Parts: sequence; C-alpha cells; structure tokens
Amino acid sequence: MHASTKKWLFTKISSFILIPFMIWFIMNFVSIYENDYQEVVFFFTQQPTKILFLIFIVIAFFFSALTISEIFEDYIRNEKTKNVANKLLNIFAIVIPVLTIIGIYNLS
Amino acid sequence: MQEKNNPLSPHLQIYKWQISSLLSITHRIVGVINILAVTLICFLSLSLLLGAESYQIINNFLKSFFGKFIIIGLCWTFSFHILNELRHLAWDLGYGFDIKVAKITGVIALIGSFILTILFYLIGKNIF
Repeated sequence: MHASTKKWLFTKISSFILIPFMIWFIMNFVSIYENDYQEVVFFFTQQPTKILFLIFIVIAFFFSALTISEIFEDYIRNEKTKNVANKLLNIFAIVIPVLTIIGIYNLS
Repeated sequence: MQEKNNPLSPHLQIYKWQISSLLSITHRIVGVINILAVTLICFLSLSLLLGAESYQIINNFLKSFFGKFIIIGLCWTFSFHILNELRHLAWDLGYGFDIKVAKITGVIALIGSFILTILFYLIGKNIF
C-alpha cells in the first residue's frame, strides 16, 4: 500500500473512532469543570472514565498529528522547514499523551 | 534542499468565499483549537498532582465568566468538528458530492453545531 493511502486510511479510521470519544469527553468535561479537587481527581482516576480519557487523548493526538501535517503540506513551501515542523509535531503528539498517562497513573 | 515553487493551497486571497471554503478553513482552525484545548486539559490533569491548593487557582478561573465562556466555546468547536467530520466521512463513502447537497450539508453542519453546543452543555450540566 502506498504511504499516502495508508496515511489517508489511518486519518479516516481515527476520525471515525474519535467522534464518540469527543461526544463522551465534552459532556463529561462540562459536568466536572466547576467541581472541586476531589471530584476532578475522582473523574481522572476512576474506571471507566480513566481508561476512556486516556484512549481519547491517544487517538486525538494521533489524529491531530496526521491532519496538522496536511496543513503544513498546504502552507509551508520550504521542504526543510516542513520536515522540522512535522518532526516537532510528532514529538509533541507522543510526549503529551505519554506524560498525561504517567501523570494520571501517579495520581491514583 | 531545493525549494519548490508549487502554489500553496487553498488560495484564500484569490477565490471568492463560499460556504464550502468557509467551512473547510473553519474546520482546520477549529481542529487546531481543539488539540490545543485537549493539550491544556492534559496539563490540567497533570496539575492535579500538585495538590488541592494549586488546583484551586484553575478551579477559580474555570468558575469565572471567562472560564464558562471558554468551556461553551469548546463545546462549539467540538460540535462543529464532529458534524463537519461526519460530512467529510460521508464524502469519503461517496455521498453528498453534488454542489447543492454539499451546500445544504454545510449549512446543516454550521447551524447544527450551535444546537449541539446547547445540547452538550445542558446534558453535561444535567439540566435535562
């Protein structure tokens, strides 16, 4: 399979999976954002919200890395700059979810 | 490395604005806003490690008028992205390519995003 086809397929599959997670997350976030510390900790550490949130962020960052690289493709003319931007984007999409997973497991 | 002189797209300064181009550029902007918001939420979850006293600052901000405005704004960016993404997925399956249909689904996605924002907020707040 061509690399571009593979990228397109991954983008579409991840966007399809992401939709129910986005709906679940935004409604739950609205319900907890004004709550006090203990209730917010409870949300991030108790199952099934903990695992659902972690799956949500992993898919969200994976999807964003694929789609933002398309924005770079459209707007950055210089190949060198584009490569650097893509590398930084990929690092960002790995580091933030990993830090969050470690943080949430240390929270519980 | 050689610099290509390919034209960049979309040519915002050349083409006349239409619902399709407006929604396309909004979809991209909203997508970037969403991932920045998710990043901030990740930091919010990490800030919980600092303890209740530190979290109180974030809590006070979220309870303020500006905090509520941001949360409602986030409901809209999520709503718009969900509806427009469904539109894109339908296109990928080969549906809705007709110009008239594409315009109608565009308007539905735009108006629907405001309705969905209200629904998300009300359901989240257990008002239903």
